[in-house]
Amino acid sequence: MIKWFLSFQWKTAVRSPMWNKNLVLNLVIGFFLLLFGFYILILGLFMEKILTEVFPESNIYDKFNGLLLYYFLADLMFRFMAQSLPKLTIESFLHLPIRKNQIVHFMVGRTVFDIFNFIPLLVLIPVTFTIVTPQLGSSLAVLWLIASFFLVLANSFLATFLKRLMGSKPLIIAGIGILFVILIVLEKFEIISLSVISSKLFGYMLAHPYMLGFPALWMIICYILHFRFLKMHLYPEEMQKKKSYEIEAGNENRYLKALGLTGSIIIVEWKLYTRNKRTKTILYMTPIFLLYGLMFYPKPEYINQYGFLMFVGVFMTGGMMLNYANYAFGYESGYFDGLLTKNIDFKQYIAVKYYISVLICVICFILTIPYLYFGVKILLINAAMFLYNIGVLSFVLLFFATYNKKKIDLSRGGAFNYQGIGAMNWLAVLPAFLLPVLIFIPFKLSGQPNWGIAFIGILGIIGLFFSRIFIGMITKNFFSRKYIMASSFREP
Amino acid sequence: MIAITNLTKVYNTQTVLNINQLTIAKGESFGLVGNNGAGKTTMFRCILDLIRPDSGAVSNQEENVAKGEKWKLVTGSYLDDGFLIDFLTPEEYFQFVADIYHLSEGDLATFYADFGDFFNKEVLGKKKLIRDLSSGNRQKIGIAAALMPNPEILVLDEPFNSLDPTTQIRLKNLLIKLNTEKGMTLLISSHDINHITDVCSRIVILHQGSIAHDLVVSSDTLNILEDYFSLR
Repeated sequence: MIKWFLSFQWKTAVRSPMWNKNLVLNLVIGFFLLLFGFYILILGLFMEKILTEVFPESNIYDKFNGLLLYYFLADLMFRFMAQSLPKLTIESFLHLPIRKNQIVHFMVGRTVFDIFNFIPLLVLIPVTFTIVTPQLGSSLAVLWLIASFFLVLANSFLATFLKRLMGSKPLIIAGIGILFVILIVLEKFEIISLSVISSKLFGYMLAHPYMLGFPALWMIICYILHFRFLKMHLYPEEMQKKKSYEIEAGNENRYLKALGLTGSIIIVEWKLYTRNKRTKTILYMTPIFLLYGLMFYPKPEYINQYGFLMFVGVFMTGGMMLNYANYAFGYESGYFDGLLTKNIDFKQYIAVKYYISVLICVICFILTIPYLYFGVKILLINAAMFLYNIGVLSFVLLFFATYNKKKIDLSRGGAFNYQGIGAMNWLAVLPAFLLPVLIFIPFKLSGQPNWGIAFIGILGIIGLFFSRIFIGMITKNFFSRKYIMASSFREP
Repeated sequence: MIAITNLTKVYNTQTVLNINQLTIAKGESFGLVGNNGAGKTTMFRCILDLIRPDSGAVSNQEENVAKGEKWKLVTGSYLDDGFLIDFLTPEEYFQFVADIYHLSEGDLATFYADFGDFFNKEVLGKKKLIRDLSSGNRQKIGIAAALMPNPEILVLDEPFNSLDPTTQIRLKNLLIKLNTEKGMTLLISSHDINHITDVCSRIVILHQGSIAHDLVVSSDTLNILEDYFSLR
């Protein structure tokens, strides 16, 4: 049976539609993963050097042990946030004569193959040679490596267990969270020092090699905890708590309703954003977009880099709109057929999408006004970029949105989720950031950067005057593309 | 009136639809049957201008459906879940549809009163999103929304699927009533040959995209259909 499970797992991975459909994107993601792994490996290889640099006086072996507890706690937290619960659609197995234990063993054991478990090895293996072997000798060093790996696995079982626990017993999770906060506070005020505890703990373990059994024991305990919990809750509805909404009827916004069709489209779009997981993640991320300026404005070396400031300006006043307009139709893939068959004036419909884009930009621009604190120049650049966003970029993005060709699954979280994103979506982002810079370069070279900024702003205003024509062009393209969009949205 | 002329649709060299001539008169109750892959949904999608045919055209009220949009005002349709906005509550969805067709609050109230029995207290006032409802209840919402603007033509793809027996019977009676009393043109596909012969006055059997039989319903039709499908 395990053989079957493994093959199913392999097939779900290999046959996932995203994997097959988007080679370029996979290459890009693969490249970044490799690059990331490479950096981690470099960190591992130079850990000894780094520690000797930072702590020239002390024993780096002790120091490294001192870091371990931090690492495992941080790792646990990170996994709890980021690691997704392994999904095995157990419904398809529960009714078959398969022993429950087998299903559960597989579900728990599978976390071993998670990529998060192998990244630490890129540090741990080099460190075994550079730091641990000189101190303990090679045979104990290997034991140390194995014990550390057990702790990594224990973390992986524990994190997934805690994550499942959150659904049914949120109080326990809250308790653990408070414990973490207390630890951090105690550490902050130097009442206890995790680094000393960690160093002592791991030092003691290694001084008494039989104690290296404890990581193994801890791992087994975590495994059993997860296993028992799953076995007791092996019902689909208990495993995946579906968040269902309670919607009170009848409190529609009267002002929006007065706008007629425009209002009802805005209402639907707003609900689309607030009631779906993927779009909600994007809403949560917006404040982070808006804080982007804080990374650059306070630093004097950036304040004269127009290119940077323009980039930041486009991003802050238009980043949110970019997400909206780029997937203007893809987000509606779930009910696109329904829209097409209804008596909707699509020119007005697309105009509404444009108005919403403008509205988003206006809100973002207003929220960036406090950056005036860093100088009038910042405000003027942001204003110019804002005009560019509403007068040029939003039209370009909506035009490219008619090339949306992938059904977007709104029920999955949005961070690092590339499902439903096609090459066109990436292409459409290019004018967002390249075009202003390209326009700006000649002005910069001729020594008139301020005129360049002004010109970009004026371009935006000119675009606004032609909005009817642009909307007409988008509508025309929408009609010639609608069959292709509809049929690709229908594909699962 | 709906007229189909020389309509073909080809996917990867396989012809899934090939209809030379088919006319559905105003007020007719037209049933479409055929095994899986016969082209029923493809035909309905062509009628609703959801796919571009490789040749031929469909006209609805003398208007080519791919060229104009006036036909949408008089045509109600529900093919599948892809017609519903699933993150809305049923009430919010009905409100949206009402807004699109410029119906008044009063029209909406009448609609709720008319469909109270049909929903059987399982759809309205539940504070639930459409995506959290069962497939039967979603089907009810889709059919009701198609009927909301009082269309002259109604297109439903396998409307009896996943409905409970009570609602199946109610839907059957409702369709017969709409056809005989209001003269609504019905285009309905189904795998249930009993229901379809009860509702429709004309039944077309599709086979591999082409019309295999075009029958006027009589007391004999059910037997003909049974014979036809038991040999397939």
